[in-house]
Amino acid sequence: MAWVLKFFVSSVGRKLLMAGTGLCFVLFLTTHLAGNLLLYRGGDVFNAYAARLHSLGPLLTIFELGLLALALVHVVFGLWLFYENDRARPVKYAVKKSGGGQTWGSATMPYTGVLMLAFVIYHLIRFHFVDKTNIPIYEIVKAAFQNSFEVALYVAAMGVVALHVSHGFWSAFQTLGAHHTKYTPIIKAAGLIFSMVVGIGFGFIPIYMRLL
Amino acid sequence: MELEAKIPKGPLPEKWDRHRFELKLVNPANKRKFDIIVVGTGLAGGSASAALAELGYNVKTFCIQDSPRRAHSIAAQGGINAAKNYTNEGDSIWRLFYDTVKGGDFRAREANVYRLAQISNAIIDHCTAQGVPFAREYGGLLANRSFGGAQVARTFYARGQTGQQLLLGAYSAMMRQVAAGRVRMFPRREMLDLVVVDGRARGIVVRSLLTGEMETHLGHAVVLATGGYGNVYFLSTNAMSSNVTAAFRCYKRGAFFANPCFTQIHPTCIPVHGTYQSKLTLMSESLRNDGRVWVPLQAGDRRRPGDIPESERDYYLERRYPSFGNLVPRDVASRAAKAMCDAGKGVGETGLAVYLDFKDAIARDGRAVIEKKYGNLFQMYEKITGEDPYETPMMIYPAVHYTMGGLWVDYNLMSTVDGLFVLGEANFSDHGANRLGASALMQGLADGYFIIPYTIGGYLATASLESLSETHPAVQEAKAASVQRIHALLSVNGRRTVDDFHRELGRIMWDYCGMSRNNSGLEKARERIRILRGEFWENVKVPEGNETLNQSLERAGRVADFLEFAELMIIDALARQESCGGHFNEAYQTPDNEALRDDAQFCHVAAWEYQGDDREPAFHKEPLVFENVALAQRSYK
Amino acid sequence: MKKSISLTLKVWRQAGSTEKGSFETYAVKDISTDMSFLEMLDVLNEDLTREGKPPIAFDHDCREGICGMCGAVVNGRPHGPEKGTTLCQLHMRHFSDNDELVIEPWRSRAFPVVKDLVVDRSPLERIIIAGGYISVNTGSAPEANSLPVPQEAAEKAMDAAACIGCGACVAACPNGSAMLFTSAKISHLALLPQGRPEAARRAIGMVQEMDRLGFGNCSNITECQVECPKEVSISNIARLNREFMKAWLAADEK
Ligand SMILES: Cc1cc2nc3c(=O)[nH]c(=O)nc-3n(C[C@H](O)[C@H](O)[C@H](O)COP(=O)(O)OP(=O)(O)OC[C@H]3O[C@@H](n4cnc5c(N)ncnc54)[C@H](O)[C@@H]3O)c2cc1C
Ligand code: HEM
Ligand code: FES
Repeated sequence: MAWVLKFFVSSVGRKLLMAGTGLCFVLFLTTHLAGNLLLYRGGDVFNAYAARLHSLGPLLTIFELGLLALALVHVVFGLWLFYENDRARPVKYAVKKSGGGQTWGSATMPYTGVLMLAFVIYHLIRFHFVDKTNIPIYEIVKAAFQNSFEVALYVAAMGVVALHVSHGFWSAFQTLGAHHTKYTPIIKAAGLIFSMVVGIGFGFIPIYMRLL
Repeated sequence: MELEAKIPKGPLPEKWDRHRFELKLVNPANKRKFDIIVVGTGLAGGSASAALAELGYNVKTFCIQDSPRRAHSIAAQGGINAAKNYTNEGDSIWRLFYDTVKGGDFRAREANVYRLAQISNAIIDHCTAQGVPFAREYGGLLANRSFGGAQVARTFYARGQTGQQLLLGAYSAMMRQVAAGRVRMFPRREMLDLVVVDGRARGIVVRSLLTGEMETHLGHAVVLATGGYGNVYFLSTNAMSSNVTAAFRCYKRGAFFANPCFTQIHPTCIPVHGTYQSKLTLMSESLRNDGRVWVPLQAGDRRRPGDIPESERDYYLERRYPSFGNLVPRDVASRAAKAMCDAGKGVGETGLAVYLDFKDAIARDGRAVIEKKYGNLFQMYEKITGEDPYETPMMIYPAVHYTMGGLWVDYNLMSTVDGLFVLGEANFSDHGANRLGASALMQGLADGYFIIPYTIGGYLATASLESLSETHPAVQEAKAASVQRIHALLSVNGRRTVDDFHRELGRIMWDYCGMSRNNSGLEKARERIRILRGEFWENVKVPEGNETLNQSLERAGRVADFLEFAELMIIDALARQESCGGHFNEAYQTPDNEALRDDAQFCHVAAWEYQGDDREPAFHKEPLVFENVALAQRSYK
Repeated sequence: MKKSISLTLKVWRQAGSTEKGSFETYAVKDISTDMSFLEMLDVLNEDLTREGKPPIAFDHDCREGICGMCGAVVNGRPHGPEKGTTLCQLHMRHFSDNDELVIEPWRSRAFPVVKDLVVDRSPLERIIIAGGYISVNTGSAPEANSLPVPQEAAEKAMDAAACIGCGACVAACPNGSAMLFTSAKISHLALLPQGRPEAARRAIGMVQEMDRLGFGNCSNITECQVECPKEVSISNIARLNREFMKAWLAADEK
């Protein structure tokens, strides 16, 4: 099994882990968004959805633990790469200028990543590890978003997510070896569209709830 | 001393086979006991290092650049010849041999050239196996193009980067041997002297260009593959670090220098445009496949090329040489361009340029085809000149490009110093008085991959070489001399920069020992070189010291040697009272201004022996015997 | 267009690898716009030499964009602002009168500064030594046309093989990664049938060596391909990733 370890500590191996876990998060975001969109349908529908989800019991727990594992891998390896990359240029350039290859998304991956980590922790504390015995989740969310500060925080966080994914999406394909003159532009476009859907889809929810 | 070329007996096609059989072999187990020093990592040195290491020899390899992959061979553009006859045009080993001998104006050794043609096919096989991405046809087989001096398409190419790809092939083969521990690479080292012990080359003195440290490296044989000396002209297509130092130091240690005046002026280079100019850029000769060379019919016609109608253009190569047209050999094309400019028909700002026009080719084949063939060359031209050759014709002018002269070697590629082998452009062997396009790459790789591995064995198997230590007086003397020389350069502390001297030397050589020469000019040049040399040692300014990367000091050493070597070129040019190939003495020309050889008196190699700094070198003659081709006036009409 | 311009240069000066460096400012006048960037530095160096000051050390050799020896970062851009151009091929006509140019060496932990603008790029060579070749001994090759290579494969291989090993990709990469360089060699050889037998060994060997040498990691930021003077594409990096994955997954060793 030593080969597995050696493989995943190599630069390319670590990148593959980032890509694999990142794409899993993309899938997670898709389902999470689909679920959350039910908020627009009102409290009953959303609460029913939440109840159904929780009725999955151990399955849900397994799923959550899986997500946690993915997150650990993605975060630990992401920070490891970031640390190494920073060390690879001990003396920085006096003048820094992009030749046009880099995007906002690609230039900020580690920073958007760390912000997202902070947000996710906050998010979980706020909506996951709360006592839901008496108040249905819909009410918790609604109550939370009566606070304008909270709304702003969420919208900003979703902007950060969109930025991260705007590069992460196609980058993951590139890392997995999928590059083609015909298809890469399509993948890149899909990544941009996806990041916008995620950003706007999630981002509009708090605003909507606030206005409700 | 008698020059013994050691050409094997027997009919021409059998000589090499027979010789390989007769050469003594080194027992495979003993090979690792031999240390071989290779200086230079161009096609010749790179391939030799790899091939010798593959056989099991211990190889130490040196180069000036920070990596062997950057040797000047990297810049070769056009291609490499081989007698594969893939195009079914009737090519053969014999034809390649004949074209090369004729292209060289019958001043090369038949046996050597024949061997080169014989080996040419194996080179293509080997390089292909190494992964050199030669151009291919749709069917997946190798493509060919034509080059000057030949009527068959036998040139293999990798876009306009053939030298790069061949060199990367040799380099990777060498790196494989580095990984195997059989080659030790010493980059950023400049060879400053040869160590000769008991008449045998046993080592070299090199200066580390990073630390200034003088190192000696000893071995059982020295292989010199340090390239050509075109930079004696200051402006040339050679890389900036190309030099004569290594070869010239060997000359001073007893290796004869052959035909130093044979230099090649390449017809298709980007014209000079300013005094600050540091080098000239070649536009590959392959361009002459599709480009048409012309000047305005009327002298002094200053109209833009597009405004000059067809009827007022002179496609002078096609006119004068109907059968070869734009593909005449280089010396012929260069002199024709000079003649046009001398007649006032030159174009461009300086009047020192002719057009190379692709309009017809683009109309015939479409832009895409031309772009595929020459895209990177066109791009390079545009970068340098700011003009787009798809739209307006290129302007070209001849420039110094290659040196046929070099250290004299016998059939085994061994110089007159036993154990000193000389490969590639650094030797004089195969191109006579003019080299055909795409044959230097062929020669460099033939020497390195397929000749030296056998002939060095023949030497090592028979020479009895005692072990040698650093403390040997000959080693110490060579090292001390080099240290002393560096010290001398640093202590002049005058007022003129090294480049200043170099530029002036180049001007003298270009004016008097360039495309055409005459006796009084040569005499004058000799005098001026002596004066300049005198001034150099009194007035050169070399900043900084020895113990650091000091690029001015590096150049100073090279220019000092050029200043001595230039005089040897002049001596050689004066001694050769005929015109042949790249050596054109105005007193000897045919009624239509072609080079006029004098086979009765000058059908020989002129080899010069060093006699001391203030004495004339001694002249030695190696007669050239042509048993298989008839000496003829070259005609490309 | 103006035929000659004047410039202010801020050049990184560092006497040796262990010395501390700093920027020096120089004014250069009457620079012909037909000059190359290196010729402009030559002119400055001639002046400095005459004034008894140490000239600026910079690597160069072919001066026609093929040896890969030259290179410096000009106003934040490796090899300067022109696309597909080495520093020696960059001409002064691309600058304007009174421009200020900041000239720095390649910055990378793997490439220590040797002097001024000269850096030590030998780590790139270590990567090649770790497998950037096809193991064929001289004399053993089959007839060249016995193995057809589709033209498209040969062309793609050539695109990758065009790499000149200048190190601009490392200099340009915000992470200081050498993936473009490494992938160019891996791709060149993997695309040709001649290179297939060793493809797996080569991919693993070269990537492991690259990792060992202190380069950063690729984040697909693509600055490398934009600054590469030979416009080597990041499709080669994707190919490296594929080759590396294939190699590990298929390898017999445990
Ligand atoms: C622009 C250009 C285009 C060309 N195109 C073609 C072409 O299309 N086809 C063709 O056949 N030929 C071509 N040629 C000619 C051909 O490239 C050269 O003749 C050939 O590459 C020379 O190879 P070489 O190995 O002998 O020497 P080089 O490649 O010049 O190598 C010399 C080596 O010696 C080292 N060296 C030199 N001096 C010293 C020293 N004192 N100490 C230590 N090391 C030293 C250098 O570092 C270098 O490694 C071209 C030449 C030029 C200039
Ligand atoms: C919903 C959450 C997340 C999603 C959808 C996501 C998605 C992705 C994707 C698809 C990639 C591209 C992988 C590749 O280039 O191969 C990526 C890269 C990255 N992610 Fe995330 N990520 C998320 C959370 C995080 C978090 C919390 C961090 C915290 C540190 C982080 C840090 C990074 C970093 C640093 C990279 C770049 C790695 C590199 O290429 O060097 N990500 N992410
Ligand atoms: S000097 Fe050779 S690439 Fe610039």
